[in-house]
Amino acid sequence: MSHSGFNDSAEKDHMSEIAHTTDGANGEGQTAVKLTRKDFQTDQEVRWCPGCGDYSILAQVQKVMPELGIPRENIVFISGIGCSSRFPYYMNTYGFHTIHGRAPAFATGVKLANPKLQVWVITGDGDALSIGGNHFIHALRRNIDLKIILFNNRIYGLTKGQYSPTSELGKKNKSAPMGTIDYPINPLSMAFAAEATFVARSMDIDPKHLSTMIERLAHHKGSGFLEVYQNCNIFNDGTFKSFNEREVRDDRMIYLENGKPLLFGKNKDKGIHIDKVKPEIVAIGENGVTIDDILVHDENALEPNLSYILGRMQFPEYPVPMGVFRAVHKPTYEQMLHGQVSKSISISGAGDIEKLINAGETWEIN
Amino acid sequence: MTKELIKGNEAVVKAAILAGCRSFYGYPITPASEITEAAARYFPLAGGTFLQAESEIASINMVYGAAAAGERTMTASSGPGISLMQEGISYLAGSELPCVIVDITRGGPGLGNIAPEQSDYHQVVKGGGHGNYRTIVLAPNSVQEMCDLTFLAFDLADKYRNPAIVMTDGFIGQMMEPVEFPTTSVEAPARPWAVLGNAETRNNLITSIYMSPDELEAHQRHLEAKYARANRGEELFEAYRTDDAEVITIGYGIVSRILKTAVDQAREMGIKAGLFRPITLWPFPDRQIDIIADWTKSFMVVELSNGQMVDDVRLAVNGRRPVNFYSRGGGNVPTVDELLGQLIKVSEDSYVRENISESEELFWGV
Ligand SMILES: Cc1ncc(C[n+]2csc(CCOP(=O)(O)OP(=O)(O)O)c2C)c(N)n1
Ligand code: SF4
Ligand SMILES: [Mg+2]
Repeated sequence: MSHSGFNDSAEKDHMSEIAHTTDGANGEGQTAVKLTRKDFQTDQEVRWCPGCGDYSILAQVQKVMPELGIPRENIVFISGIGCSSRFPYYMNTYGFHTIHGRAPAFATGVKLANPKLQVWVITGDGDALSIGGNHFIHALRRNIDLKIILFNNRIYGLTKGQYSPTSELGKKNKSAPMGTIDYPINPLSMAFAAEATFVARSMDIDPKHLSTMIERLAHHKGSGFLEVYQNCNIFNDGTFKSFNEREVRDDRMIYLENGKPLLFGKNKDKGIHIDKVKPEIVAIGENGVTIDDILVHDENALEPNLSYILGRMQFPEYPVPMGVFRAVHKPTYEQMLHGQVSKSISISGAGDIEKLINAGETWEIN
Repeated sequence: MTKELIKGNEAVVKAAILAGCRSFYGYPITPASEITEAAARYFPLAGGTFLQAESEIASINMVYGAAAAGERTMTASSGPGISLMQEGISYLAGSELPCVIVDITRGGPGLGNIAPEQSDYHQVVKGGGHGNYRTIVLAPNSVQEMCDLTFLAFDLADKYRNPAIVMTDGFIGQMMEPVEFPTTSVEAPARPWAVLGNAETRNNLITSIYMSPDELEAHQRHLEAKYARANRGEELFEAYRTDDAEVITIGYGIVSRILKTAVDQAREMGIKAGLFRPITLWPFPDRQIDIIADWTKSFMVVELSNGQMVDDVRLAVNGRRPVNFYSRGGGNVPTVDELLGQLIKVSEDSYVRENISESEELFWGV
């Protein structure tokens, strides 16, 4: 499906406020557009199960969008197939519901055809990591300005509960009656390996954090990846519960803050210390440990090694990190593409296509 | 004689195991997911392999490998997944490897929907992959036949060292009916041509690459000869009340069952109607159609597609009789009354083009 979800009357109301801009999809050079969360909602009936974590992600995206000040017609949401991929129907922006696993490739085509668009990719753990694994890697590797959000519920929701590449080893489900024997993949590790320039993680049940992460992703220029832990209450209920429930969260999760030591616990008295490559949980005040022994998070480090190590920390051995793991700047693919085009034009002058094509060794047959 | 009330999609799996199939590689998709799920339950019990692949491209290539290693192996999917398998099917056929593929057809093109259609006929029967090859195609119209024809598919695949496809609509896959399974299981026949990891098969070569034009042509001729043999001996069909019929309806899968009732009702009204049901779609029972064309006045082909098998009927009839075509799509299935109405019309004026828009009418002109 591809649609412009613009609601006619709302559209008219806002036309007067929307000044047309053509440069920069990330807010620069845009005349402010005063939109509200409501402007990003559609008249489509939301067809997720009651209680599904997807609702929270939708709500936070709709909350963040107006703050970006980008006209709705410059925004596009592209998805593959899955419950998560129903997302574009519910956003009053341009949207494409494409092929299972192929959204990153489709989005590449959209972004390069029209670089002024802000392009979001909505995908699931199956969509992005199994059938779409290679497109996912290559979209990140190229550093195209795509904002990829992966709804990780560790299950195939839409097809009713078969295991996914992120399902826990041993998990019983419809296609693994005796428990899966497939080792799961860590989406963040994959993003680091693919050299994504922005890598973050959040979860459906922490809307404040989630909206901050969405905002950060929106402002990043280059390939951005946000993993969201999302509960599928029908086919994989409570998969993150052991560490992300409110009562245990403080001790079992750790919120990354740039330039700050990695502290967690109710009283922020536990921290992550790294000696060589293996992280270790230490308690401040015990065994002579002071705040100086705690690793200071640096999301801007050019080498992603430390972030990679953090991304692999899992409960119960470690607290599960949430936040921005990596945010670095490199020229984007479209900038370089444009650079090459401008360069060739500056060398040979803006020309005439027909002349160019016919400039080789041609001959006439009489 | 014991019968089991079972879903078509499950009957396939039980039959495959009884036929000596020992591995299943698949990826979930509606309306074929139950095959994957049943395989996950039954294959380990039979000492076989079940693996949920990361995509249909992976599934068919795992099948390719298992077949080369000498195992009876299979996969199952629906239209979008079968599309992804076409490359692998071409290589399997080119390498002369037996395997069974099940296609539970849903609505298309593109994402279409998950309701039953028969619109995969072209891609499955004509070969959606590249190059000169054929696949054997069996079209069950009951759950019993889902069992019987799956069993047969394994034998034909081995006999011709070629992929065999069991293709049916979502109805037959999803419906439950009593089935009598074979009481004894068989072992896969010896495969001296495979690469079995022993001294005897060390020199076997499984390949589809023939760099010299002469060698490739010789290989193609060899395949052609094989297909010609299958084409003159493996056709299966059901002819119902066709002996004195003046209007012969033609349909396969779920359509044939509705047509059968319509034919009976037409007979009660004094219309000499009959039903011809191709059971093998390739080889297509064209000679039998040619024979009944001797006495019938006209044909009425009904498909849940906008006209795919009808091409083969027209080739078989070769212009000797009018071939009327009636179609439903999008998951709609004609009622008995609807088909009876068409039958009456055909018997009266012996030519209708119902449900065909003007442009299509041109296309389908006599
Ligand atoms: C080629 C192809 N194969 C299979 C499917 C069926 N299918 C649709 S979504 C999906 C998996 C969805 O899982 P995920 O990406 O985790 O999304 P969720 O539903 O959990 O949000 C599958 C197997 C399909 N649509 N197309
Ligand atoms: S199946 Fe799971 S992921 Fe899909 S809508 Fe329902 S709760 Fe959400
Ligand atoms: Mg999922």
